Parts: sequence; structure tokens; C-alpha cells
Amino acid sequence: MRPYFEKMPGFGKPLKDNRKARSRESRAKLEAVEAEIAAARKAREDVGIPAAKINERGSLTVWQRLEYLVDPGTWQPLHSLYNPEDNEEGTTNVVDGLGKISGRWAVIIGFDNKVLAGAWIPGQAENVLRVTNLAKRLHIPLVWLVNCSGVKLPDQEKFYADRRGSGTPFYRHAELQQAGIPVLAGIYGTNPAGGGYQGITPTILIAHKDANIAVGGAGIVSGMSPRGGFDVEGLEQLIAITRDFKERPPGRVEIHYNETGFFTRVCDEEKGVLDGLKDYMRAIPAYDPMFFRVAEPAEPALAADDLYHLLPFNQKETYSFDEILARLVDGSEHMEFRPDYGPEIYAGLVKIDGMAVGVIGNRQGVLPKGYPEYADYPGIGGKLYRQGLIKMSEFVTHCGRDRVPLIWFQDTSGIDVGDVAEKAELLGLGSTLIYSIQQTDVPMMLVVLRKGSAAAHYIMGGPTANRHNAFTLGTAATEIYVMHGETAAVATMARRAVKDKDSGKPLEPIAEKMNEIAKKYYDTSRPAYCAQHGFVDEIVELKALRGYLKAFAGAVYQNPQSTCPRHQMLLPRIIKG
Amino acid sequence: MAEEIRAPLAGSIWAVLVEVGSKVEEDDELVVIEALKMENPVFSHCAGTVKEIKVKKGDRVEDDALLMLIE
Repeated sequence: MRPYFEKMPGFGKPLKDNRKARSRESRAKLEAVEAEIAAARKAREDVGIPAAKINERGSLTVWQRLEYLVDPGTWQPLHSLYNPEDNEEGTTNVVDGLGKISGRWAVIIGFDNKVLAGAWIPGQAENVLRVTNLAKRLHIPLVWLVNCSGVKLPDQEKFYADRRGSGTPFYRHAELQQAGIPVLAGIYGTNPAGGGYQGITPTILIAHKDANIAVGGAGIVSGMSPRGGFDVEGLEQLIAITRDFKERPPGRVEIHYNETGFFTRVCDEEKGVLDGLKDYMRAIPAYDPMFFRVAEPAEPALAADDLYHLLPFNQKETYSFDEILARLVDGSEHMEFRPDYGPEIYAGLVKIDGMAVGVIGNRQGVLPKGYPEYADYPGIGGKLYRQGLIKMSEFVTHCGRDRVPLIWFQDTSGIDVGDVAEKAELLGLGSTLIYSIQQTDVPMMLVVLRKGSAAAHYIMGGPTANRHNAFTLGTAATEIYVMHGETAAVATMARRAVKDKDSGKPLEPIAEKMNEIAKKYYDTSRPAYCAQHGFVDEIVELKALRGYLKAFAGAVYQNPQSTCPRHQMLLPRIIKG
Repeated sequence: MAEEIRAPLAGSIWAVLVEVGSKVEEDDELVVIEALKMENPVFSHCAGTVKEIKVKKGDRVEDDALLMLIE
């Protein structure tokens, strides 16, 4: 299969100076949003006790631990701005992302020990769910930096109980291990109750000498017998017990290394714990990337900086998706699947870091005359029509058969609507695509380049209707909503407008209400909102996108659960014809 | 002989990006037509000099309407 992969057809054209000049303003807008996101990310990193104070106490912060643990240049943060419950702390109190440790990809998550000593707070369980799902879908280890004081008690009703509550990571650890995915934990500080379970449920437990894990901490043990109220005498007893527990919290190293032996290893130094994690990561099965590479890795022939001129900030402006893709893939080369069918959709094989990956994306702009073939109106890119829907289902199915991971790129306003479209079976074909994806069972990731809208956001590899979506990224131009705000205002208020008109009422209040609806849609679809509420797992700078694609490909091919020999792949032959 | 640049779809002229006498290359953007809620660029299929422009901003054009001539 060497001739298929080593040199694929090149695509994309160098950017012209006049295009650069014309898109200068658009670039500035993209960069302004990227700067806003970067500032928000920095503010989130700085939240809580200053790093210097943590260091004075003899500890490292979670960020310092990550810096020491993760191989330089490989950290791809996720959920940086995720805070779905709008916590006053501005965080879910965990930090996570993809990174290499000892040359192997892992999903890495740590409690932010600067904030409430790493407590459970609202929204954190949902964050952890995303992370355990990610490890499961990519079939790579999950590495924890445990430093968890347990429940933030004043807010316990928001996350302690329920089907998706804070206890669920523990059975998810069990699920991962049952699927052959190891969970490693470096354990620091005092970890009572939930913090204790966080420490005990992984596969390998490496503890710092001052760490402890316990069913209940000092506060719980000394207050276990409610007496119907508090008095001075009771408080005197409480103070004495608390002083003792402060000195000797339950579940110290002398118990869980010397007595129970739960801790795999105990280290005197903070960095020793991280060295221990590196040692165990070295012992984890991982293919050398050369095993699955179909060609030598190569950077794109066209510059990533061009992306800022190719992706218009203005949602109404069209562009060439192929030109965007050519700036992201090895050698700016590809093999396009059915280029003469379903012109609103790009589908093709590309290489990322020398590994075969399938790509599906929305093309933009005016479609060839006569398309869609079932209607007498013109077709426009970003919309989905009959052939495009069929093409996506076919391509996804072939990728599943050939065990090729998929990257989706969305900029879609939805599926074609109306009786003509219904007659063309678009409702059925949209659901067929969901079925195809579900049946395919290969890891997928999604980049919402600009618009993620209507059912098209679901069916094109979106996280909502897709068990195989490992993670979703957004850009500075991303907006995600069920429909455009003005469309929603019309859908909501059109009948009311008719009624008011007929009864002679003034129309100004209706117009005002419609503007309010449109404004709300705008505000709740911006990149920062999408990141905070988990519509995407991270907003990524355009120039940083390829790093995530490489992390995805590297992680998927690190220890795949099933493979297809390249000489038995069908897709390249179908493309060749 | 002059090459004809025609509208790929019906819509209204959003912008005219060249003037009579402008030198253009193949694939240069010449006109933007607003249609189907999008701004759709019209590219040159040839290199040459803009000889005549038949439309201005705001004009309504039909599918296949002549937009300009390039020599």
C-alpha cells in the first residue's frame, strides 16, 4: 500500500497577498477572541491561593506538578474554562488534558490544590465524566494527581448524590480497569471520604510521605454522633479531638503503606511521586508510532498562519474548507472520497503525524448548478442535502471497516428543510448517519470551525448524538445553537405578531422582544460560553489546532483495541477506483 | 476576446472588489453576491484586465447574469 500513502495528491494553493490584505480585519477579530480566551484561561489558572504560598508550605501546585510530569511540548489542555454550574471559584476545581508521560499518551487530570485544598465542587463530576470517557474512547491510561479535601460541605446538595454525582468516578475507574485501561494516581495531602475513594480506586497508588486517604477525615470522625445541638462542653471535647486529628489524620502512610499496603510506593519528595508515575507509564503497553504509520510524518506544505486569513470571522462570508484542511494535514496531501458526489461535503483520507485519519467537513459557498438534484432551488455549502448525507454514511462505514479514526469539521447551518427535502428522505438519512456512526465504533474528534447548528450539529460527529466522540474543539469563530437567533425570534414570535397586528396593537414591543431573543442567542453561543458550558471541550487557537489533531492520532494508534492491516484496507482502493 | 464573468446564482451585489482597468489573476475575487443568507464570492476564471463592469453594489442579479468583462 506504499504507493497509496507515501505520496498522496497535494491540495491547497498558496495564499495570495490580496486575500491576506482583504482579510486583515477578520484576522484581527479572530485574534481578539483568542486573546480573550487566553486571558480567561490565565485567570482560571491563577485562581485560589498564590503558588508562592503553596510552595512555602512545601507543596507544588497542580500546574507545577503537571509541568514536571508531562513531556515538554505535548500538553493539550481540555476543559480550561469548563464551569457549567457557574461556581464563584470560576472552575470545576480539576485541571485536565491530553499529554505524553514517558513518551506515552495519557489523559491527565489533577485537583487544583490552590482552591479549597482540591475540594469537590459543583460541575466537577461532569468534568470527570468527560475525562473518564475520553480515556475509555481513546483506550489510553488515565493519570490522576489526587489532592482532594473531599466535599465542599456548604454546596453538597448540588453534587453529592444523583446518577451523575461525584461518586460516579469511582465506578468509572472500575469500568476503565475492566476494559484493560490502567488508572494511575499520584497522591498528595489529606484526602478524606470522597478524596479517599479518589485515591484508592485507581490501579497504581503512589503516595507522598505526608499524604493520607481515608473513609472519613478528622472532621467527620470527630462529629460522627449528632447530639441534637451544640454547647460549650461539647465544643471543648471537639477541640481536643480535632487537635489530635490535625496531628494524626486517619489513613496516613504508616497505615496504608505499612499496614494495608494499599500504596504501591511512597516517596519522600513531591517530585518523587511524579517520577513514580513516569516509571509506571514506561511500563504500560504502547506501540512505537512507526508500527502504524503509513508514511513518514511531515508538516503541512502550507503555513498554519494562513488559517487566520482563510476562516472568515464573519459568519456570512464563505470560504474553501479544502484550503483550511490543507494547512492542517501532513504534506498538504489527501485522497478525496467521491469528489463528484455530494459536493457540500468533503470526505477523504489524510495523514496526521504519518498516521491514516479520515476527515469529513462542510464545504462552503455556492454548490454546482443542478444540486441538490431533487429540488429546483440552488444549494449552498454548510447545508446538508441528500447526496452529502449518503456520502458521509458511506465514508464513516468504510472508516469503521478499515479501523481508521475520524476527524469531523463542522460549519453547518443544518439539513435542508421543506416538503421537497422530506420527500428526498433527509430526515431518514440524517438518522441513518447517526446509526452508521454508532455502528462504526472508531474514535472520533470534532472541530466546530464556525457554526454548529440544528440537527446537523448532532449528526456530524457531535458529542450529543455520538458515543464515539472523544472530544470536541471550538475556535474563535465558533457559535453553537439550535438555530440562528433571528430565526429563533421569528419562530417564536411570528404568530404573536400576526395576532397583535390583527387586534390593532402596536408592533414595537414584539420587535423589541425579538431583538432580545436574538441577542440572547448571540450571547449564549459565543466561544467562551460554549467552553464554560461544555458545548466544546476546549476553544483552541487556530495555530494550535494541529497539535490536538496529532495528539488525537497518536493516542488512537498508541494501543488500539482493533486494527486493519493496511494492505487489507478497502477505502484507499475505493478512492482509487 | 473578452471573457465573461457571470453570476453563479441569483442575489444582490454585496461588493464589487475591482475597478475598470484592474489587473486580475485567475482565482482572484471579483464580486461578492449576497444570497441564501451568505456572502458568496465570484472568482475570475482567467487572468487579464477588467474591461467593463455591469453591476454595482446593491443591484439585484439573476442567475447567470453578466457581471463583468475581462480582457
